Amino acid sequence: MIAFTTTVTGDIARVVFDLPGEKVNKFSAVVMAELGHVLDNLHARTDLKAVIFTSGKPGVFIAGADIKEIQNIANRVDAQAKAEAGQRTFQRVADLKVPTIAVIDGACLGGGMEFALACTYRIVADEEKTKLGLPEVTLGIIPGWGGTQRLPRLIGIQAGLELILSGAPVNARKALKLGLVDACVARSFIDREVDAFVARILTPDGAAAVRAKRPHGGLMRWALEGNPAGRLALFRAARKGVMAKTRGMMPAPLAALDVVRDTCRMSLERGLEEEAHRFSDLAFTPQCKHLVDCFFASEALRKEGGESKRLVQSTAVLGAGVMGGGIAWAFANKGLPVRLKDLNWDAITKGMHTANDYNRQLTKRKKMTPGQANLLLHRISGSLDYRGFQGVDLVVEAVVEDLNVKRKVLAEAEHHLRDDAILVSNTSSLSIADMAVALKHPERFAGMHFFNPVNRMPLVEVVAGPQTSPETVAMVAELVRRIGKTAVVVKDCAGFLVNRILLPYLNEAARCLEDGAGIEQIDRTIYDFGMPMGPFTLSDEVGLDVGYKVAKILANSYGERMAVADTLRLAYEELHLLGTKGGKGFFLHHAQDKKDAKLETNLELLAALRSRHPTTRTVDADEIRDRCLLIMVNEAARCLEEKVVDKAGSLDLAMVMGTGFPPQRGGLLHYANQLGSRTVADRLKALSDRCGPRFTPCTMIDDLARDNRPFPT
Amino acid sequence: MKERLAIIDGVRTPFSKAGGALAGLSADDLGAIATRELMTRTAFPVASLDELIAGNVAQPIEAANVARVIALKAGLPDSLIASSVHRNCASGMEAITTAANRILSDEADHVLCVGTESMSNIPLIYGPKMTALFGRLMRAKTMWQRLGVWAGFRPSFLTPIIGIQVGLTDPVCGLNMGQTAEILSREFSVTRQDQDEFALMSHQRAAAAEQRLSEELVPVPLAPKYEGVLTKDDGPRANQDLAALGKLKPYFDKVAGTVTVGNACPLTDGAAAMLVMRESKAKSLGLKPIGYLRDYAYAALDGRRMGLGPVYATAKLFAKSGMSLNDFDLIELNEAFAAQVIACERAFASADFAKANLKRDTALGVIDRAKLNVNGGAIALGHPVGATGARLVLTILKELRRRGQNRGLATLCIGGGQGAALALEVA
Repeated sequence: MIAFTTTVTGDIARVVFDLPGEKVNKFSAVVMAELGHVLDNLHARTDLKAVIFTSGKPGVFIAGADIKEIQNIANRVDAQAKAEAGQRTFQRVADLKVPTIAVIDGACLGGGMEFALACTYRIVADEEKTKLGLPEVTLGIIPGWGGTQRLPRLIGIQAGLELILSGAPVNARKALKLGLVDACVARSFIDREVDAFVARILTPDGAAAVRAKRPHGGLMRWALEGNPAGRLALFRAARKGVMAKTRGMMPAPLAALDVVRDTCRMSLERGLEEEAHRFSDLAFTPQCKHLVDCFFASEALRKEGGESKRLVQSTAVLGAGVMGGGIAWAFANKGLPVRLKDLNWDAITKGMHTANDYNRQLTKRKKMTPGQANLLLHRISGSLDYRGFQGVDLVVEAVVEDLNVKRKVLAEAEHHLRDDAILVSNTSSLSIADMAVALKHPERFAGMHFFNPVNRMPLVEVVAGPQTSPETVAMVAELVRRIGKTAVVVKDCAGFLVNRILLPYLNEAARCLEDGAGIEQIDRTIYDFGMPMGPFTLSDEVGLDVGYKVAKILANSYGERMAVADTLRLAYEELHLLGTKGGKGFFLHHAQDKKDAKLETNLELLAALRSRHPTTRTVDADEIRDRCLLIMVNEAARCLEEKVVDKAGSLDLAMVMGTGFPPQRGGLLHYANQLGSRTVADRLKALSDRCGPRFTPCTMIDDLARDNRPFPT
Repeated sequence: MKERLAIIDGVRTPFSKAGGALAGLSADDLGAIATRELMTRTAFPVASLDELIAGNVAQPIEAANVARVIALKAGLPDSLIASSVHRNCASGMEAITTAANRILSDEADHVLCVGTESMSNIPLIYGPKMTALFGRLMRAKTMWQRLGVWAGFRPSFLTPIIGIQVGLTDPVCGLNMGQTAEILSREFSVTRQDQDEFALMSHQRAAAAEQRLSEELVPVPLAPKYEGVLTKDDGPRANQDLAALGKLKPYFDKVAGTVTVGNACPLTDGAAAMLVMRESKAKSLGLKPIGYLRDYAYAALDGRRMGLGPVYATAKLFAKSGMSLNDFDLIELNEAFAAQVIACERAFASADFAKANLKRDTALGVIDRAKLNVNGGAIALGHPVGATGARLVLTILKELRRRGQNRGLATLCIGGGQGAALALEVA
């Protein structure tokens, strides 16, 4: 393999990285070895005055280390060796006797960024695709090839930590502002600019001038970084930030923080040793493996549904509720015109209000300009009738969750559509086949299940009914990707994938409550497990009416094992509680409450509940966790059995993206595998004896447990 | 005209009193909403459009060439050319007649015409002294120079120039539009009573026409908060009465005047859009136009008597086309001021006026009020200056169709001393 080509013009060498057979440049062990040879040759030459490193890939400088190789790290020794090898190679870049210049036009991430940091100078193209960052912590590791050392030394501890701890990349202009790069130039003039830059740095004055432009601190920087007290405060604040964001459940950012703190006064050599050591603590941990698996699962889902020959250019949404308004926003946000139909203009205006609200969340954080927000809203036009539907390629039905209403609306819409237009339902629980009976063309009908709030939730379930054509699925999946979300294609069944697995969990939490556990105790236990919120907080957020409706539909479809817990019925049907939107649910929600304020339990509900279900025993945290999670594992296994999704990896990622299941646990089936299928089966059986047959392990779990085989992830 | 111009369809936003419901939308926003709705309803292929022409008076500073901004905000293709036209209060008609010229000279086939105005958003501006001070400040290089510039500042510099006020004043004769109406009131002896009665009729007719007018509207959700929606024109008052109108003080001539805010049109926001092409083109495409522009004329006169513009323009139209007042089933004569409309009625009916001013021997004819502004006019509905011309065309065509009648005259007076008259047909 030849990944690097070196050409020498006069006394300037130019090394172009162009990995054969790949869309992006990445550092595998083989590539690193080849880079080593390239460096040997450069070291051997005495006729050079400067070396330029650049990429032959459009839109990519170097995407980072080969993540497959990170996935394959089996133990600490492996990890340490991998880090040290990379560090040594990059040190040889830094040790070149002549100045080195990284010319970055595109993504420069992780290992790629660490390579660029080892160069003397960095120049970036002022292009949208230019992104510089160290995303390692998002994969459960820390930068291990010098990133934690060279970055803070270049741009300061505070700015360096921000990049390392968030894992978020910066664009070309921000990189220049941070001092991460020495020049930011237009791509059209990049060759000319690089030549001029090289000529400049080859004069002593020019080199000094470029270096003088790098950030050297100032009073603020000295106050925070130049003295022990400042550093103490800085690291404390950074730790607090990480804890607030990760609740301490992600080891990588904390480890990165420790490395930077412990090494910021050391020599580079000692610092690198420490970095490699800490890297090797992390790279073989289950958390890291789980995050890497999630990464690959999401990469795999990029092709979900196959390629679509036709693209949706124009859309309509039926029903301007929170979901309808949100979906309209998501389409309009990517430039698609949306016809938003409802029964009256007040409803349509509410839908526009939702879209406007999502805009405001972005304009407030300067992620969208007021002009962009204005254009987005112009793309959404309201209507009470079907005028204009002839021009529409895809219609999303988002009316009330009622089979008869949906059938009527869908049939009506179909009547006004072109023959090649697609109709989808945003139902969360009704069967696509049941709805399709109302249609003349069930082959161009599918489910497109968005999660609430549409602007924040990254997952969309694309539901293929028994008659849905592959072209329809492909077109919908492509649209999902185009609006920046992840599509997972699932088979038609009540609740589809995510809700089908999630509802038993909400039911079970309610049953734990009925058996004697406390509302807060249950929420706390699940929250501590790593879910973004407890089951009762979630129920309140979703709305008890919505939750109850879905629960009933699932109980109808799956029978006994999904029987609606008495608590859910009581809360909605008898006490008429609605959750957050109504001010009262399992908790009391007062409008004036701050977001992070602790919520009070709704004692009225608790009293009504206890009068029907007197406390009989204590339910401890272990039992709550097992009951709530294993009932999901059992249902997830059934979904695999029934091939609701084709890959366990997709199921796990769907749970991570659709419910916030902690990614460092890798998803439900990864979690089950960590327990071991035999343990899962044993505990399910015990629970089945104690709490009821809903826990009886499904065939797949029984089979796997016989030889304690893992779920195929 | 050598061939009739087919008006395929049109749609407008509700008209809303300035500073009210539509104040959060700029002229380009309003124009874009009407345009998008029209293109969606007609399902006409946007790629076939040749140009968008927009009439607008107070061209917004943030949307230079408002037509192009409207086109892009409405989602029309990048490749669509767009130009803005200005003939003051007739700008909405100017968009249509300019399109007719383009089309009949074979420079375009399908043109989208827009008239739009946001009188809510006409800015206040700094006067020349403050502007000059800012200029000096920008040129000042040192702190001392800047301090020196500021030393020349006087609080009076901050007195703004009110764009809307200046805009409604004829820069040549120096009269405000309301003052020109006072001149006509005296010339034609139009009493306060005459004017108030006319204003009352306008409100009553407009209020009664609410349902009919809704056929030409697209409701507008209200930016920037989207907490409400405007589904109808908000000017007409069903419970208006003479007593209330009589209580108002004259606004433009406080000493001896007759024109009040009650018998004049209010400042208004709104927009209208229309798709036009040759009659033969519409036929070949199998389209069913709502009507046709048969002929038109613009005429000019003394700016102090600009309210008589319709009389001059109609006379010119008759001379040009050979039509006479009897040929028209309905008339829309824009109600800038009740005094001005009544003055026009009297001038229409006067042979003396015709002889003295219109180069005709006979009067233009007596306007039958049963045919005039049958759905109310600008006194009730409002007069978003750039949009009104287009609304008159839309409203009269829809009404002719409802009545099963054929020909309508849409005419209006133009600030600065002009008049416009359009002959429209349904069949």
